[in-house]
Amino acid sequence: MGPLIPQGFINPDLNLFFAFVIGLGFGYVLEQGGFSNSRKLAGVFYGYDFVVLRVFFTAAITALLGIQLFGYLGWLEVDMLYINPTYLWSIIAGGVIMGFGFILGGFCPGTSMVAAVIGKIDAMFFVIGMLIGIFLFGQFYNIFEPIYMGSFLGNLLVYDSLGLSRDVFVLILVIIALAAFIITRKIEDNVNGLPVAKGLFHPSYTGPFAMMLGLALLLFVLPQRPKAAWNEISADKLLEKLDDPGRYVDTDELAWKLLHPQSNDLFIVDVRKAEDFAQFSLPGSVNIPLADIITPVSLNTLRTASGQPVFVSYSTTDAEAAWLSASRAGVENLKLLKGGLNGFVEDMFVNQYVAKSYEESEQFRQRFRTDARQMFTTGAGIKAKTASPAVVPAAAKPTPGAIGGC
Amino acid sequence: MDNTPKPYMNAYLAGFLLGMVLLASFFITGRGLGASGAAKSVVIETVGHVAPEYAKEHPFYAAFFANGDGRPMKNWLVYLVAGLLGGAFFSGFVSGRAGFAIDKGPRVSSAGRLIFATLGGILFGIGSQFGRGCTSGAALSGMAVLSTAGFLTMIFIFGTGYVIAYFFRKLWIH
Repeated sequence: MGPLIPQGFINPDLNLFFAFVIGLGFGYVLEQGGFSNSRKLAGVFYGYDFVVLRVFFTAAITALLGIQLFGYLGWLEVDMLYINPTYLWSIIAGGVIMGFGFILGGFCPGTSMVAAVIGKIDAMFFVIGMLIGIFLFGQFYNIFEPIYMGSFLGNLLVYDSLGLSRDVFVLILVIIALAAFIITRKIEDNVNGLPVAKGLFHPSYTGPFAMMLGLALLLFVLPQRPKAAWNEISADKLLEKLDDPGRYVDTDELAWKLLHPQSNDLFIVDVRKAEDFAQFSLPGSVNIPLADIITPVSLNTLRTASGQPVFVSYSTTDAEAAWLSASRAGVENLKLLKGGLNGFVEDMFVNQYVAKSYEESEQFRQRFRTDARQMFTTGAGIKAKTASPAVVPAAAKPTPGAIGGC
Repeated sequence: MDNTPKPYMNAYLAGFLLGMVLLASFFITGRGLGASGAAKSVVIETVGHVAPEYAKEHPFYAAFFANGDGRPMKNWLVYLVAGLLGGAFFSGFVSGRAGFAIDKGPRVSSAGRLIFATLGGILFGIGSQFGRGCTSGAALSGMAVLSTAGFLTMIFIFGTGYVIAYFFRKLWIH
């Protein structure tokens, strides 16, 4: 579902409107939190006021737990979110310079604007300084460019960089945050000459503690996969299925079932491109191009098919790909046509089958091929098809023509 | 009429609400919050007006005039900051905190505070360009999406602050 604008649920023209609305909330919360006061902000470095740490950590963890849970529930495509790039030395240089700026100026850009608009004069000077700083960066950009553009490591994720799983990292982060809340409360009371409460817990952080730890543990317990992949089977299981020769339908079986519609329990899914499908197709087959095979609609069609789904394509390559993708996505009991449509045409129209021995089955096969060939070429197949039209779900596209095209 | 300002919101509640705002931003637009980007737009717009020829040739500015419609102010972050100013003013006004004032440590003069505020602003302006965002855009939003860049930015901003805090203690404490 989300992010709403990049996915096209909301008109991109409203992007700027939402920016403004989100900004309203941003500014309101920062000001209410006390971020319009440089003395409160600087307190985080001197121990007399840790409001910055509390708000900052709580906000970051709330948002990151929310994002991951939304992702789990399928409400948010986490992969579509903007991950800021890691230009290592530029980040270090920027962080150090901003650290100096914070101590000297007592603000960061967002908080300075919040403070300036309610009349804090020091903040107005900070904002002016910031504009000068950006201008200076622009003026000396040629000098700074090697650092600014250098050492690009990619849009890295922190748990990958640390070699941890996402859930372990989040849990560790939450524990660090909670430890920081406990320690800073004690430091703050001590620095301000207040009696330092004994024990670890302080009523001021019981609520956030319970919520953060609870959500982090929930994240830890939930399987780490988005909703779209809830039914996905493991690679081992897929390999096992792949080994089973029962996943093939051979050309004779297909031919027999096409010629006997009353006992045709197949749901033939043609995975070729729509234009190829339009040129000719098997009677009663539906077209789901390979590219669309793992869309939710297609998977649902396969899951709820009235018959045994069988993938067909020219050769077996695309049908195999469709079989693998859909099986991996958790659809059970899929088959594909052995030899593909090319094999089918060859067996039924091109090659005369000669029995390999006098055994009954071989003799039968030869007779069947000859009969089938005759029925397909003389149009008996068409008659058989029109006598009992295949039932296909509304979402699938039924074929209008019969096999006569080839 | 009672003129004493209302107390600030509980820090954890404020953090939770800020987190929800950030989450809403990601949910609706796919990106986080930011503030320094708007200041950059102001600088680029100004340079573009004062010296348009120069801006077109300079690599730092030219990218903004080459890409898009050449209107740096019609930008997501600019509208975000417009909202930020509105929201902050509303909050300060209803809580009785709006009014001219200088917040400073006990040992520094008002003039000194303003000089250091300007210096700090200059440094933050430069630093936010290197960091490709500031405390909100790079550190907070970056941490929310678990980006390495977000955590590094946070660590280096606050780490530097702690390392040098002692040397600048006269600015803030007794």
